[in-house]
Amino acid sequence: MPVLSSSQKYNLVTIMNNHIPHGKLLGIEVDSVDGEELTLKLPYQAALVGDSDSGTLHGGALTVLLDQTLGIATVCSDTTEPCFSPTLDLRVDHLGVAPAGMDVFACAKVYKSTRKILFVEGFAYCESKDKPIARATGSWVRVGDVDLSWLVPGDQGGVLT
Amino acid sequence: MTQANNIQNAFSPATLKLWLQKIPYAVFLGMKAELHKTDFLFTLPKDERFIGNPSLPALHGGVVGAFMEQAAALQLIVSMDEPRLPKIINFSLDYLRPARLHDTYAKCVLNRQGRFITNITVTAWQEQLDQPNAIARAHFFTPQPT
Repeated sequence: MPVLSSSQKYNLVTIMNNHIPHGKLLGIEVDSVDGEELTLKLPYQAALVGDSDSGTLHGGALTVLLDQTLGIATVCSDTTEPCFSPTLDLRVDHLGVAPAGMDVFACAKVYKSTRKILFVEGFAYCESKDKPIARATGSWVRVGDVDLSWLVPGDQGGVLT
Repeated sequence: MTQANNIQNAFSPATLKLWLQKIPYAVFLGMKAELHKTDFLFTLPKDERFIGNPSLPALHGGVVGAFMEQAAALQLIVSMDEPRLPKIINFSLDYLRPARLHDTYAKCVLNRQGRFITNITVTAWQEQLDQPNAIARAHFFTPQPT
């Protein structure tokens, strides 16, 4: 039984995403929530280019997008209550490059949750999900006493209604 | 001749500036690099644009990672006989402490510089070097001169 409905997840991840000033500066926005999978979008911009000759995106900009996507995807898990979770570690494999002029999408989901740790996996892609340009894995620490359940509407309604 | 001597000989502020111009994202980060004795010290200046958690406030973890990756790339570039932009293969980042709204520093160690692939570790800190905010390991592919 999922903890949150799809629309509750969408509203919750939108609130979380918009609460990150640097993400807003880069224009990172929620693309979709599909089951336990969250997708964020980073619009192409010249300031994030890693090689001015080719116009390809800097690997570090992908790290920012993936860190944010995997981190927020922790609340989309159906096996655990949503809670505040700081990042323990993040690994990014660069499978390709983000070509000049292309927006980048990153999708992520929790593939295992334990009492204390959330293990998350994600991919970044431009044209299609079948052609990933980066793969990321990371772990997030569950901090039990910072609960987000107040965001979930009760009988009287709430932030997410 | 030691590696440190090579770096020192290859480095000049003007050439580093040229490289930074080739990397718009490094300019966006406002990164600085200086030579301290035989080591490069990279700085990510304190900037509210990089806040990820406004409550603490703390820098966006991804930005700290991006800064460390770029520091590693620059360290590698200045160590090359014929400097070229290296390509990142993978990057593994351990977050030890939240980075606060202060200047952040990074230093790199080239663990192995092979013909094609280089392994670099990076340490990032704010207050004290022995209390790092993050440590990272990167592999880079270095295209050979044709």
